[in-house]
Amino acid sequence: MIGACVSALIARAEADNPEAGFGERIAENQRRVFQIAYSVLGNAADAEDVAQEAFLRAYQKIALLREAEKFRAWVNRIVFRLALNRRRGHGRRLTRDTAWQMTETRTMVDGAKDAEQRVMLDRLRREIERLPEKLRNVLQLSLAEEMEAADVGAVLGIPEGTVRSRMHAARKLLLEAMK
Amino acid sequence: MKNSCEKWNDQLLEAALAGTTAKDLEEHLKSCTKCSTELEQARARKTRLDELLPLVARGAEPGADFRARVLAAAVGEKERHRAARWRVWTLAGATAVVVTLLIVGLTLVRRNGPAVPVEELAAAQKLAEWRAPSDSLLATPGQEILKTTPKLGQSYLNVPVKTEE
Repeated sequence: MIGACVSALIARAEADNPEAGFGERIAENQRRVFQIAYSVLGNAADAEDVAQEAFLRAYQKIALLREAEKFRAWVNRIVFRLALNRRRGHGRRLTRDTAWQMTETRTMVDGAKDAEQRVMLDRLRREIERLPEKLRNVLQLSLAEEMEAADVGAVLGIPEGTVRSRMHAARKLLLEAMK
Repeated sequence: MKNSCEKWNDQLLEAALAGTTAKDLEEHLKSCTKCSTELEQARARKTRLDELLPLVARGAEPGADFRARVLAAAVGEKERHRAARWRVWTLAGATAVVVTLLIVGLTLVRRNGPAVPVEELAAAQKLAEWRAPSDSLLATPGQEILKTTPKLGQSYLNVPVKTEE
């Protein structure tokens, strides 16, 4: 009863001032949004830039994105698009291999524990880069936390079944490539 | 793997991913040690892949101050927008005031008309009525006759001439 009253009060406060809940929205989504950008860019600094840009764009549309689910879906889509754009821009200056190497020497933000695992992870990233674009997009999106097939499908505008079949095809290609 | 075993390659990968083997592949594995080894290796690679894939992105975290930075940038953005909006409104207001003043000024000037001094008006009137002195000297008794055209058979000499005497 009290919980419902508090929720109603928060909803009313947010309706009066739509920007009030923005900090909370960042806290709820920042990890996943950053990971989506990171899985595409493989670089923590670029991923943070892109994630920040996505949140700033969401802030401009905060009045339309009051519902948490709407906000989540919107920000997933926008960060993925921004990350792809950033990668295309990078592609003109650097090859992806060089970019990964730079990341490895500059920041160690991923979960690799030892040198061998790091080498394997590096190789895996290169193999992911070589996947066909459709398969790569599905795989990279699904690598972020809390990204179920439905969420990936919503970002790419494809059905859940297609996401699963592309995911399977991507894993099969990686299994073959990692020989 | 023998060349003849290449046709099993796809099924071996499927078996490694799914964890189950199809009946025909199972039969083949009983008689082919190379394919059995290949399947074991593929299963080991699959386990490794399952360990590594989450690490590609999931270990990654934004900086501790990420939220604060985004909020600060959002506030900055809002201030910039507000300032830009004020600039636009100020410019629009100033333009409106200038245009209104111009319209009011022009209307007043038109309504009152230009103030011409009385002396100038009198001088202009005098100039319009002025006749050259030679006009009266050039006047002749035949002037009226010359204004008319004689009919056929008539002569200027027959036209009666008015004389004042």
